[in-house]
Amino acid sequence: MDPRSFLKGLHPLEIKVLLRYAPGEPLDSSRLAADLDYVEGHANQAQAWLIAKNLAAETGRTARTVYELTPLGRTWLESGSPEERMVAFLTGNGPAAMPAICQAIGMEQKDAGSAFGRLSKEGVLAMTPEKLVSVVDASRSKRAVALKALLSMAAAAEGGLIDEGQLDEQGKALMAEIAKKRGSGDAAFRAAERETVTWALAGEAAAVSALLREEGVSGDELGAVTQGILESGSWKGAAFRSYNIRSRPARLIPGRRNPYVQFLESVKDKLCSLGFEEFDGGLVETEFWNGDALFMPQFHSARDIHDVYYLADPTKAKSIEEPYQSRVAATHENGGATGSRGWRYGFDREFTKRLVLRSQGTVLSARQLPTAKVPGKYFGIARCFRYDKVDATHLSDFYQTEGIVLGDDVNLRTLLGFLEMFAVEVAGAKEVKYVPGYFPFTEPSVEVHIKHPVLGWFELGGAGIFRPEVTEPLGVSVPVLAWGIGIDRMALMALGLNDLRELFSYDIESVRLRRALLK
Amino acid sequence: MPKIEVNENLFFELVGRRMDAAELEPALETAKAELDGWDQSGPESERVIKIELNDTNRPDLWSTAGVARQLRVKAGGAIPEYPFFSRDGDVRHSEYRVVVDSSIQKLRPFMAGFVISGKAISDAMLRDAIQTQEKLCSNFGRKRRSVSMGMYRIDLIKWPVAYKGVDPDAVSFVPLQMEETMTLRRIVAEHPKGKEYGHIVSGSPVYPILMGADGGVLSMAPIINSADIGAVQVGDRDLLVEFTGIDMAAVCLSANIVACDFADAGYEIRPLRVDYAFDTPFGRSVTFPYYFQQPASVDSGRVTKLLGDNIGPEDVVSALAMMGVKAEAHGQHVRAWPPEYRDDFLHAVDLVEDVMIGRGMASFAPERPHDYTIGRLSPIEAFTRKAKDVMVGLGYQEMVYNYLGSGKDYIERMNVPSDDVIRISNPMTENFEYVRPSILPGLLQSEAVSSKAPYPHRIFEAGKVAFLDDARNYGTITRQRMGFLCSHQAADYNELAGVVSALLYYLGEEYVVEDSADPRYLPGRQARILVDGVEIGVFGELHPAVLENWGITMPSVACELDLDSLL
Repeated sequence: MDPRSFLKGLHPLEIKVLLRYAPGEPLDSSRLAADLDYVEGHANQAQAWLIAKNLAAETGRTARTVYELTPLGRTWLESGSPEERMVAFLTGNGPAAMPAICQAIGMEQKDAGSAFGRLSKEGVLAMTPEKLVSVVDASRSKRAVALKALLSMAAAAEGGLIDEGQLDEQGKALMAEIAKKRGSGDAAFRAAERETVTWALAGEAAAVSALLREEGVSGDELGAVTQGILESGSWKGAAFRSYNIRSRPARLIPGRRNPYVQFLESVKDKLCSLGFEEFDGGLVETEFWNGDALFMPQFHSARDIHDVYYLADPTKAKSIEEPYQSRVAATHENGGATGSRGWRYGFDREFTKRLVLRSQGTVLSARQLPTAKVPGKYFGIARCFRYDKVDATHLSDFYQTEGIVLGDDVNLRTLLGFLEMFAVEVAGAKEVKYVPGYFPFTEPSVEVHIKHPVLGWFELGGAGIFRPEVTEPLGVSVPVLAWGIGIDRMALMALGLNDLRELFSYDIESVRLRRALLK
Repeated sequence: MPKIEVNENLFFELVGRRMDAAELEPALETAKAELDGWDQSGPESERVIKIELNDTNRPDLWSTAGVARQLRVKAGGAIPEYPFFSRDGDVRHSEYRVVVDSSIQKLRPFMAGFVISGKAISDAMLRDAIQTQEKLCSNFGRKRRSVSMGMYRIDLIKWPVAYKGVDPDAVSFVPLQMEETMTLRRIVAEHPKGKEYGHIVSGSPVYPILMGADGGVLSMAPIINSADIGAVQVGDRDLLVEFTGIDMAAVCLSANIVACDFADAGYEIRPLRVDYAFDTPFGRSVTFPYYFQQPASVDSGRVTKLLGDNIGPEDVVSALAMMGVKAEAHGQHVRAWPPEYRDDFLHAVDLVEDVMIGRGMASFAPERPHDYTIGRLSPIEAFTRKAKDVMVGLGYQEMVYNYLGSGKDYIERMNVPSDDVIRISNPMTENFEYVRPSILPGLLQSEAVSSKAPYPHRIFEAGKVAFLDDARNYGTITRQRMGFLCSHQAADYNELAGVVSALLYYLGEEYVVEDSADPRYLPGRQARILVDGVEIGVFGELHPAVLENWGITMPSVACELDLDSLL
């Protein structure tokens, strides 16, 4: 491996070790503590990281004992050991009987007895003939001094730990006497066995440290750019540590738009740019607007119970707008004033009030006609409802994209011109072709097929010129181009999906991770 | 839309030449038809071509001969002549007669028919006739209600045939698919076809019957044929084809279509006289096939205006001829006679479309529109986008959900009453039985399925909801709403209060909060949001009971705002 490849990934803790030691030199945490002032945790990190990079290797392990200061030991340090407290009490109060001493300094008889035993042996205390304990010479206890020294040493060490190697012979002897391995609740130190790992730089370490020297890296480079550094200006002349820019970044969960909705919005924006004004409407409609106004006969097969959802309650609108209802009824029956012969049946004015869930976006086009401007262009992306079994290609509710163009001069050729614009601008089509089509509300009717760069040939949508039976009852006398385009296949492709149900996914993670591939 | 299967040999014989798929596909556009499948692996005589027909107003195209005729004429073939048709003032002689009795007038008054003769019926033609019967009667005939069709072996019939209503318990015969004599009432109750179509007649005191002069039953129209006279097989010659129904024009047109199909296939069509005991739109005595259609007309100026190319009256006549429609120009005015098998010219624009197809789509060059109009989003869409932008800035992921769901999700799990929820009377399944009254169930459903998604979850949706509102004409109202939900270990009221505050600040709204008692939220940890004294939403900590209903075990807070009332 190229030694240079290590450089960016080295931590200052590793760099200093690499610079300081030659390969093969025996290293352990105490040596790093002495030479580099590393606390044990840092020494261990440097060791582990260097070994993981094959820049160092373990050379051996030796067992040793460590002593950890217990909570009782900390209390002794603060309030005195039993011996100290006994001497202090007797010094202040004069000779006293054992039970009185125990009570005064809150000590159990047996502990007080062993403390007295040790102190009298050193000639600090003595028992008077009256069985009173009295102080002989308070300065004579070397043990108390040594204990105090151990406690202080441990308290100052990281983690309250003393390594047995740090102790002299007297310290070792005293520690052996007071430390316990188990049940250390009543001891000042807990004894534990630890392994010391010895290791040494190895592998490419020499080459890496040579490179570090060559590049002038010391391991003392600054870490973070802090407010303090900036305020003090101490960054001037200092170097900053390089990061490993190739490490995997942390995952963020951003706020984000839904890619399918964005796709729909991009279509809306495109249609606005082509001069179309957006329309909108309610989800509940009447048979009148959902079918009758579109000149679909009331017995039309697309209008029965297996195609449209009916409301359970209420089932009917209170009224249908006039004069539209009368005009539409006459148009169905005999053509009314439209020049048509009509469908020649009795128009049912109760059926027409029945409430349904909007089943086609063309409803909104019809509703727009009474108030539409001439010339005018309108569109809507409307949620529609169909009595369909839900599967990968059918949904019970879905979006339809529909629009109309009103104008005295619009005709089949301008309709084809619009469809060509949609095909190229909205769908990114490379080729467009038109074939005769059939829709109940347009005559003539055409279908537009496009060759998509990815999807190949498919039917983009249907269009036509609204029948006079649709426009005239609603007060429009100019030709009205009507079109609907199917954009869901393009949406699926843009989102990398192949199941329509996925467009309306409940799964937060799948929506979070979804990308819009369409440019 | 009807799909048919045509015998390959019969089809190309009727078209006049064979084609491959690459030729057939564009040719079918003339008939608004699509090639739906063509398995070319079997022996040629048995192969079928599957064709889908898009025009529900052209039942003449739902047969082998019908599609073939359209292609043949468009390719330059002559407009076919059908001299066996009777016309007003020019009635053909008939050897056969049916008498329609007044007893049938209220139930199913109209009857038409003819006799096919001249050669034995082939397998392909019989299959096609059965398919035509099915497509015509189920789509155009509204599942046999307005038109049904039957075929019979003429050598077993004693003329004249009577079409009448009879006591369903007094008349019996052996129906097809059965071996015993059954009364009409039993047939309706027990025979598979009786169960399927019996409802057409079962409300009437009399049931329809077609009966020969000797009492031999042809059929119980529109339900089932007899097992003898009505059992037509390959090789039979001289068949009676009849149609009954409740719409004279539809019955007559159906007869015309089938007569033309058999004539195109080389059969002789012999007229049938039907004498009614009552008045019909076409008179008391009608000889079928009968040309009942009325001429249609269009000005060439209208053609030019709608199609955008300068098309003169003679151009209109020749384009219509390509579609099999005879026409004459008188100045700008063009008068057209619908072919015997068509009756779909309701308005002049229907002729305009035939001119378009006759000239060919390729002849019309797309033209860029020149009217200048200003495009714009609806006000609510523009406002909703503003609100959504703020939510994204606040760290929320936008979702989009379906608008239909179950009562369990929209009502029970939400701890809300069903009073104002819109229910569908004919749901496909109970999973899609209600219209959503709120955005919240969708957000909770997301939480319920997303416990493995890294937290925190911050999601929102803007869209429509609808609910009952008796004050409205439709008894319902649709509103634009935005709902958002935040779910993590420390999600609480205060976090959401901050979001609501930031959102309404950037939407430019001053608001106050008031105590709220919405059962979806914890009491004392929810607030109504009021702008100018009007409530525009509620937010708070979702009630643990609601979370439990959804199986959610992460603290969650939510809000729903009515965007329409902020607009």
